[in-house]
Amino acid sequence: MKARTELLVAAPVVALFAAAPYLAPLVHLDISIVSEVLVTAIAVMSVNLLLGYTGLPAFGNAAYFGLGAYGAALSVQYFGFHFIEAILIGTALAFVGGLILAPFLLRRRGIYFGLLSIAFGQVFYFIAYRDTDLTGGEDGMTITRPYFGIPSAHIVIHELSFYYVALVVFVVALLAFRSIVRSPFGRTLVAIRQNEARVRFLGLNSDRFIFVALLISATMAGVSGALFALLINFAYPLELDWHQSGYFVLSMILGGAGTIWGSLAGAFIYVIGKDIISTITPLWQIFLGALFVACVLGFPRGILGSLAAIWPRPAAPAELDANAAFDAHAPAEAPYGS
Amino acid sequence: MIHDLAPQVFNGLVLGAFYAIVGIGLSLIMNLTGTINMAHGSFMTLAGYLAFTMVSRGTSFWFALIAAPLIAVIVGIVVERTLVRPLYKREPFYSLLMTFGLSLMAEEIYRLVWGANGVPFSPPPGLASAVSLGFMSFPKFRIFIVIVLVIAMIALALFLTRTRFGLRLRAAVQDTEMIAALGTNTQLLYAVNFGLGIFLAGIAGVLAAGMLGLSPTSGNALLMPAFVTVIIGGMGSLFGSIVGGLLIGMAISLTTLWIPAASEVSMYVLMALVLMIRPRGLFGEEGIFG
Repeated sequence: MKARTELLVAAPVVALFAAAPYLAPLVHLDISIVSEVLVTAIAVMSVNLLLGYTGLPAFGNAAYFGLGAYGAALSVQYFGFHFIEAILIGTALAFVGGLILAPFLLRRRGIYFGLLSIAFGQVFYFIAYRDTDLTGGEDGMTITRPYFGIPSAHIVIHELSFYYVALVVFVVALLAFRSIVRSPFGRTLVAIRQNEARVRFLGLNSDRFIFVALLISATMAGVSGALFALLINFAYPLELDWHQSGYFVLSMILGGAGTIWGSLAGAFIYVIGKDIISTITPLWQIFLGALFVACVLGFPRGILGSLAAIWPRPAAPAELDANAAFDAHAPAEAPYGS
Repeated sequence: MIHDLAPQVFNGLVLGAFYAIVGIGLSLIMNLTGTINMAHGSFMTLAGYLAFTMVSRGTSFWFALIAAPLIAVIVGIVVERTLVRPLYKREPFYSLLMTFGLSLMAEEIYRLVWGANGVPFSPPPGLASAVSLGFMSFPKFRIFIVIVLVIAMIALALFLTRTRFGLRLRAAVQDTEMIAALGTNTQLLYAVNFGLGIFLAGIAGVLAAGMLGLSPTSGNALLMPAFVTVIIGGMGSLFGSIVGGLLIGMAISLTTLWIPAASEVSMYVLMALVLMIRPRGLFGEEGIFG
């Protein structure tokens, strides 16, 4: 998008979210659900960086998300840390998780990368599941939301103030994400997705780029997880499970792979949709599964991607180009299919 | 010591045979079409439940052992033709996501039809007792499981190496376009190959129901070890899947004996170790899946 168009789109969206605490009750939405949208959107961005931009099937990001959640919850529970410190510790834990897994994941591409992500992510799930003394095992661990953590002023964080904290973190994350994918580094990630061999022939060490992308992704997922644990005051093993990774990937596809705003759109549809459906029917899992199938078969470019495809565009916008190439490069290599 | 160890080693063998057969099915589908079938566990569960329903309606276990997987195969081929086929030309993770959605739906449907709790599915009377091996006694049904799974693996190996269709299947893994140009109906290959994978999963599903229990999520519990099996054994190698399956079967049952809390984590540690030494897995072929 051109700078002006982008501002024209971004300003109302941010204004809408800033006013959400007053708008949400009008449509009978709890503000904590809108908080969840923002928090989830950060995790979806972390998947988007790897899958949407770099083309690596990131089916293990729930591991970092869950590490962030447990990092925050454990630090509150056992060390009495405050809000900001808890988020920082959760994020740091996710970063370390990324550091440990990245050398293994780096070695492979394509679906093998996806398989390895799923499999290694499960390690953390089983640790949380089995270490019942520390984490509460299958039942998870309930915490009380800590004070904000400014010395000598214990500010209690209610749902409303949490929402604005989440909004600030989200906007910062979005700006960071935007500048990352528009930087030479981000362009190189897109180039790796389109043709990694060519990137290597140009003398760039693609492994190193992917390593950094993995760490950024793990950190973002960690921020999201830490916020999520403090939002629901609860951490549970399924946050680390590969199903959770699948939900992030679904949200990314729903919004539009390889688009900056797609993560927010996808998280919005997924979180609000799940909330609405689960209040209507206990069989929401069938609808969720059907959503996966319909989304993959019906509109693989997601909401924003499909919109962008029909949008008149005089000068080819960069992130949409990246998106267009997403499907286009598959038949060119034609490894499978007839 | 031997009284503790021997049954666990044998249990590891049985578990390993399950992982191997499920892993081989996954591997078949993955090699030919690049599809990671996350619904593989759901087809296992389906076959298990179908066998349960057949047996509780009075048919014999032996009939159910063959008929239930065959019905699962029919469902599988319908799914492949309608839902998976459109994704062959797209990035592989789309099919992963789609089959993941299918497994979510299947789980809920099983819950609706057969109830949320597990159902009892016991082996036929002739196999219910234990056999004494001198130093230990072991359930007959588990020995039977190993025999059936070994027969299935041998039959598959013969099919792939000795029949015309099996040879075409393996050739298509190497170069689909060439096989198509030579006049083979590749769509038929895809469908039969998918059905073959589901059939193996179905047999494992019926047998696993008798040994490990039957619930809406029981098949999915075997899915992750099967993935690890394929990764350890190396993608593209059926023999690798057998070795990988046995290795993690042993790893799991031995850690259950010594450090029960680490039983699930052990296979991932094993996987990490194998990948450190051999990034393609033990018998992974050069060039397949980069």
